[in-house]
Amino acid sequence: MEDISLQSKIDVLTEEQVLIQDSAIAFIAADEELKRVRANRFQQPGFDRKLWREVADAGWLGLLIPEQQGGVGLGFADLTLVLIQLGKGLTPVPFVATAVLAARTLARAEDPALVDEYLSRLIAGDWLPVLAWQEQRAGLDTAAEAVVCKADRLHGRKMFVPDAGGADAFIVSVAEAGGTALYMVDRDAPGLSLEFEQRVDGGFFAHLDFADTPAGPRIAGPEQGAALLAEVLDEGRLAASAELLGVMTRALEISVDYIQQRVQFDKPIGSFQAIQHKTVDLFILSEISRSVVLQSAALFDSETDARRRAVAASQVKARCSDAALKIGKDAIQLHGGIGYTDECNIGLYLKKAMYLGSWLGNASAHRARYAELTLGVAQ
Amino acid sequence: MIDMPDYNAMDDEEFRRLVHDWIVANYPQELRFPPERMHWEQCGDWYLKLAEQGWLAPGWPREHGGMGLDANKLLIFMDVCESYGVGRTPDQGMTMVGPLLIQHGTEEQKAHYLPRILAGEHIWCQGYSEPGAGSDLASLRTSAVRDGDHYVVNGHKIWTTLAMDANMIFMLVRTQNTGKKQEGITFLLVPLDTPGITVRPIVNLGMHDEFAEVFFDDVRVPAANVVGGENNGWTIAKALLGHERIFIGSPKFATLAMYRLKSLAEAVGLFEDPLFVSRYTALKLDVEDLGAAYRRFVAVLKRGGHIGAEVSMLKIWNTETQQRITELMLEAAGESAGVWGGVDTADGLVRPAGEFIGSRPTTIYGGSNEVQRNILAKAALGLPS
Repeated sequence: MEDISLQSKIDVLTEEQVLIQDSAIAFIAADEELKRVRANRFQQPGFDRKLWREVADAGWLGLLIPEQQGGVGLGFADLTLVLIQLGKGLTPVPFVATAVLAARTLARAEDPALVDEYLSRLIAGDWLPVLAWQEQRAGLDTAAEAVVCKADRLHGRKMFVPDAGGADAFIVSVAEAGGTALYMVDRDAPGLSLEFEQRVDGGFFAHLDFADTPAGPRIAGPEQGAALLAEVLDEGRLAASAELLGVMTRALEISVDYIQQRVQFDKPIGSFQAIQHKTVDLFILSEISRSVVLQSAALFDSETDARRRAVAASQVKARCSDAALKIGKDAIQLHGGIGYTDECNIGLYLKKAMYLGSWLGNASAHRARYAELTLGVAQ
Repeated sequence: MIDMPDYNAMDDEEFRRLVHDWIVANYPQELRFPPERMHWEQCGDWYLKLAEQGWLAPGWPREHGGMGLDANKLLIFMDVCESYGVGRTPDQGMTMVGPLLIQHGTEEQKAHYLPRILAGEHIWCQGYSEPGAGSDLASLRTSAVRDGDHYVVNGHKIWTTLAMDANMIFMLVRTQNTGKKQEGITFLLVPLDTPGITVRPIVNLGMHDEFAEVFFDDVRVPAANVVGGENNGWTIAKALLGHERIFIGSPKFATLAMYRLKSLAEAVGLFEDPLFVSRYTALKLDVEDLGAAYRRFVAVLKRGGHIGAEVSMLKIWNTETQQRITELMLEAAGESAGVWGGVDTADGLVRPAGEFIGSRPTTIYGGSNEVQRNILAKAALGLPS
């Protein structure tokens, strides 16, 4: 598939970044026809554990983790290059959920012994944790209320935990005296039950019910938990945006290719002005999105102020969620009837955009948060 | 010659304060947020003040007398100007002719024209469009016939912004009628006081004489005033179009419109309305995200790289965003949308009707947005004719 993005024309990568990108391109080329994507759809755990091992072998699970913690010590600008390709390949692995959200949470754990023990296993691909922080639909608030910890026992319900069916453990935010703390809980801990919901992209969300479930090791105390989570979630929003950028980029490439092949009225439909202008608008939208992803990644690599990071995270997630959905649905329109069939791959991109665009806050939620952060207006 | 400090080395906030303080101290209060393009008689003093301060050409390289700002500092400079309501001067010398001559001019041309732009001695206007050559610019017919060491120019240019205030015009003329129409075009610099030139103002929908027609009747122009060689005008114009599109694509005008919308909304209490806040924020992000794209393109120029036709995306996004902002201003203004006056705000009078009408031509000039989309379809996406 020809790269029609402006990246190769106007952006500059370091030699190391070219290597990272090339290896990610080669990685997704192994499933260009999306057979593996289809094979994992709608069956537990909704992703490919073997593929997860390959991702680990590529060295990407520790990409963001500092070298002294056993990681590669690269930044978000580098990570973005991998995520764009994973988005293009619709690669069925919980990369953002585990290699960004869980890994970055563990890297901030209060007990260094915990970091050593768990992070190395995560990076090696041997152990797969995900966060269980959300307590209501469309919630962005990281302060826990519904799940409480009393005498080291958890009670209550967490919602919309992605890819939980294949997880080995959960990092759970809980309300306790003094704030929100984070605890590890094993997948098969007593009193923990999972209720699954099938996602449109073929993966699963789980709602977790804790009934007198013993808390595992503490990752963060009640003074730190909510703020730590908020910081990590903003990193996850940037990462999910990069993945969405990959999704929309490939959906556009496929569509541009298709409208040059598809002949009606004795001409490729891509020669018609109505089709051209529509497609150009999608191209512009994808490049605006790419510009914001690049800018936000650079900001996350240089800025430690949580508020500025939050503004950038909401800006990029709002744009990429909207753009991926728009490009996904217009890609269906450009394909015509065949685009509405499950057999045609283009629909897989729309459905991925529907999942990733709504996860961790959809476009309007992030516009509202942006307004709150920058205008001081609460909605 | 002014000894220019290294602004890029300054801290962002320090630079912002420096620019802001100077503008507040020097920009005339009564010219803040001008409702339409200002004529020279209004803004000439301000123009000369900028010249004296060395701030006329923020984006030009320092060795040519500009501020040499990087993309980030340039956006800060712009944002400070727009937030204070600094009106646009007749800026074609800075945005078009200067960058063009720096790239394609002879040493003599650079030495002659650049200092005169920076001193406020030469005020430039653009002679491209003709009654029969709009989007299809290459079909232009104004002719220049060689006669000794002069050209004799005859023809008719139109949509020439602020021609009545300018004393110089850069123009495209036809020097050859055979071959491809793009191949017979020459780029010419002409003093407007040359005998045989007539300027006639045109009143636009805002009831303002912002642009003009310019008639050429046996106008004799020295051959030394050609830039880039005879019949190379199309190549030169295309290079210049890159500058124009990156200028039109800068968030400057959308940012200004956003500030006007904000003042208006505060005055009528619309920030209490969640529906309005939601639409306001979406537009605000459209402008902010354009800023990210603009920085990305400007970074290419600063590296000495080449920007292709893809820069058209900035023009499309910027102008259509600006129009959506002014449409929301109409909506926010109630009945005041239908009057030439407007709404009194803490930042002076905001005229939604004028803003709305004033944003109409942005999607027409500089190559209509439809033509830009045609260009992108071929240049960026490789789609067939």
